[in-house]
Amino acid sequence: MSAGGSDGTADRPADLAADGECPEQAGSSLPAAELPRKRKGDVEERSGTHGQQSVDFQMDDDLSRSEGEDQQVKMKCFREPHRQIEKRRRDKMNTLIDELAAMIPACQPMARKLDKLTVLRKAVQHLKALKVGTGSAFTDTTSKPSILSHDDLKHLLLRAVDGFLLVVSCDRAKILFISESVSKILNLSRLELTGQSLFDFIHPKDINKVKEQLSSSEYPRQCLIDAATGVQVQVDAPARPPLLSTGARRSFFCRLKHSRVVGKQDKHFLPCTSKKKDSSRYCTLHCTGYMRSCPSSQLDSECDGEMESSDLSCLVTVCRLLTPVSHQPPKELTIRPSEFVTRWAIDGKFTFVEQQATTIIGYLPQEVLGTSCYEYFHQDDLLHLADKHRQVLRSKEKIETRCYKFKTKYGSYVSLQSQWFSFTNPWTKEVEFIVSSNQVISGPGHTKDEEAGNSKALQEDTKQIPIIPGLSSGLGTMIYAGSIGTQIANELMDSYSRMNSSPSSGACSPFGPAQEKCPVVSPLTSTSASSREEASGSSSQSQCDSRTAAGASSATSESLAAVSRININPIQGETSQLDLDLVPGLSSFSSDEAAMAVIMSLLETDVNMGQSGDFEDLHWPF
Amino acid sequence: MKADKEKRRMISRDAARRRRRVESEVFAELSRLLPLQQSVQDHLDKPSVIRLTLSYIRMHTLLKGITGKKAEASHAVKCEQVMESGEEWRGCDRGRDDEEKKTDDVEASEETNMFLRILEGFLIVLSTEGDMIYLSDNVSKYMGLTQTELMGHNIFEFTHPCDHEEIRNNLRLTAEEVWCGAKRDFVMRIKGALTHRGRSSNLKSATWKVLHCQGRAKVCVAPSSVSCLLLTCQPLPLSHTLLSTHTFTSQHSMDMRFTYCDQRITLLLGYSTEELLGRSIYDLCHTLDTNCLTKNHLNLCLKSQSVSGQYRMLVRGGGYVWVESHSAVIPSVRPSKSRPGAHQPLCILCVTYVLSGVEEPSLQLSLDQTVHRYLR
Repeated sequence: MSAGGSDGTADRPADLAADGECPEQAGSSLPAAELPRKRKGDVEERSGTHGQQSVDFQMDDDLSRSEGEDQQVKMKCFREPHRQIEKRRRDKMNTLIDELAAMIPACQPMARKLDKLTVLRKAVQHLKALKVGTGSAFTDTTSKPSILSHDDLKHLLLRAVDGFLLVVSCDRAKILFISESVSKILNLSRLELTGQSLFDFIHPKDINKVKEQLSSSEYPRQCLIDAATGVQVQVDAPARPPLLSTGARRSFFCRLKHSRVVGKQDKHFLPCTSKKKDSSRYCTLHCTGYMRSCPSSQLDSECDGEMESSDLSCLVTVCRLLTPVSHQPPKELTIRPSEFVTRWAIDGKFTFVEQQATTIIGYLPQEVLGTSCYEYFHQDDLLHLADKHRQVLRSKEKIETRCYKFKTKYGSYVSLQSQWFSFTNPWTKEVEFIVSSNQVISGPGHTKDEEAGNSKALQEDTKQIPIIPGLSSGLGTMIYAGSIGTQIANELMDSYSRMNSSPSSGACSPFGPAQEKCPVVSPLTSTSASSREEASGSSSQSQCDSRTAAGASSATSESLAAVSRININPIQGETSQLDLDLVPGLSSFSSDEAAMAVIMSLLETDVNMGQSGDFEDLHWPF
Repeated sequence: MKADKEKRRMISRDAARRRRRVESEVFAELSRLLPLQQSVQDHLDKPSVIRLTLSYIRMHTLLKGITGKKAEASHAVKCEQVMESGEEWRGCDRGRDDEEKKTDDVEASEETNMFLRILEGFLIVLSTEGDMIYLSDNVSKYMGLTQTELMGHNIFEFTHPCDHEEIRNNLRLTAEEVWCGAKRDFVMRIKGALTHRGRSSNLKSATWKVLHCQGRAKVCVAPSSVSCLLLTCQPLPLSHTLLSTHTFTSQHSMDMRFTYCDQRITLLLGYSTEELLGRSIYDLCHTLDTNCLTKNHLNLCLKSQSVSGQYRMLVRGGGYVWVESHSAVIPSVRPSKSRPGAHQPLCILCVTYVLSGVEEPSLQLSLDQTVHRYLR
């Protein structure tokens, strides 16, 4: 055999196109596209390390075993998938070569496509040229060779993480070390901060919190979470609190002073500062890290009068600026004055009213909360709005109403137009509430005359009871505004209970006339909530069970099918405050998957814990 | 006749052999030029060599704009200083001397290593198509696969299919976003080839690992403007973190209704723990943050872990506080080792950090806050 590379293809049968494609050398290659589910003798899905040779052997075996026509057929069946594997490998290699050619300046101006060998040779030249350019970064023999120089890595890391490294002593929160990147985050130089007390820069209200995180020996009640059971573990402080020892993890948020000029990207919807005498600006940082004890000889000499050779406890953290959440309005902080958002329960009763509403409807939120929205709708609009109400409860879409009149506190009406969206709990798939985004429609102003005219019209109209389909029975019962919403809600609840529970639940038909005039239904009462929870709990249980029965593979395909309907990503650049298009809700996913993921992640937590303590070999940069 | 055929076949075989040999030699030369340890270089297969070469070139192009400028700038400053002090100008034209460079480099490397260690995550540079151009070498600690095994591959080969759409959306970068350094923050599931003892297994027995990815877009100024995403990926540990007084834990059923809440919520938000049981978290939060909560909830249902981002929880007497929750789905009963895969009732465990003081304490926005409670 010739030297230079494994040349096992010399014996390959002639009908396999051989353009010099060598079998891959044994090594760390991972053609990860083929998720291995290997079985011996399975030609289809081999990862390719020894594929060639074993296939050859198998084919030989086959040849000797079968005879006649069967032999031909069997060989063909064997080679087909093998040919495909070969083809895939070749295609992949060709793609890689093309990509390489695209990246190398020397290869680009060529009109025709270059052959593989030439591209490779040019790549070699290019790498040599690059090495000369970068100088000593790669000729440094003491440090491990790596794709990126440390400087470059540092630069990239800091760009990705808006943060800095901070080491503080535990006793007085003295800043022992802070990385240079702090100047970008807080606009304070590293020099002015090193050696100072951290408390000088923390928001006054967070000082206690940080104190606690630094020295837990003073706080006897230490709460930890045991992730396996979710139980809080109370640990009474022993003589040498284990939490203070090396490896104990810390994670907390705190606000630090900064003197950054507020730029365009800084308009976060983050906690605002107290607008009192102290006009400092604060930014919120997430600090995660570990406790570490370090011999004080490594620290600067200021404190060596007091401490001799005793170990000093300190906290090493990475402080990271919080990502401004992208679906909150980053650009316009001011909310348009003619818009407000409300939330109602499924029966139309207000459960949440934004403060801007007051300027528009005159009522304070607390005056309106708990009352039905139907009490404020103009009679002319009741029919239309009830219809939309019914629609929104059954639809996953945003429902837009026509322009309608809303009664203000002073008796006049304001013209509004709203978008309603029903929020469905992702797990139970039941509607929990409706969110309404309301805009004032400016038109001809509501003058006093008009109001008088309106109220007259109202008086006339009250003679005529509006017929709302499905609600009024022919018995001529007076429809109270509030009951409209309740009725519609009941219809929905009935449809849920019909769907979920057994036939013995005795649910009444949704469109039957109300036997009781105004059934007191509020899905938010704890009793009904808990019974609903039970119902939904058991229903989701039964749904889970049926899915389990269906098998894991169908569950996966279900969730795969659901992907097309999910759009979790909030990055849409919408200017509207409440992006109601965002989450239409899931149609299906498998709770088995959730269970499996949980088990796996629990196994991971063991790994994480094991990693907490290996700081012995850290060489301190100061 | 047959002899002719045979002869021709032999010639072509020899030619092919020669071609392959030359090709292997070029591959070997290329792999030796890669800045990797020799032991790694020797074991690379051909596609890997190309992948790593591509990564190396791409990273170089990406960083060329920055490091070139930086080196020039610091060099210029140094020369100025030398001039001012009137000292003899000795060999400034070659840049700073090697000794200094080395110390700087060592410092940078220590700081970066420590940073990555404390951050408990790895760095990944993604192209807009999802190619993992670069990964920091500590990736092996989290994924069980080494830097050289992963670099150059596409991230979609390693992540859960149901997360692909979300990842694709996050990779999409408009020109404006790139120039502003737009940020990204999402959770995804990636293959992890680690055993529960922390040892590397192989891809065959890979399990899904949940990673929280945060970072921003980056563009390189050089000729071909390449934009990519820089992300740090961290697993989300919940265990054994000391919780401060401004934090409370709660447990919820899968529909996010409270099943348990620790007492600290009373001090922080004013609700008694009993009145919360059975209440949905969606009722207790500002309506404008519904989307944030829904996204969090969906992440939990699909991926079993989530970080919520900041949202507002309403305080009992009025007003609200900004909070952030880190949550995970856990079995409500301790899993038995003997039946790991069995179907178990699940619940959600949340650790909620209060970020701010009470804002607008006189504002009553929701039903729960009003003095005269409508309910019950």
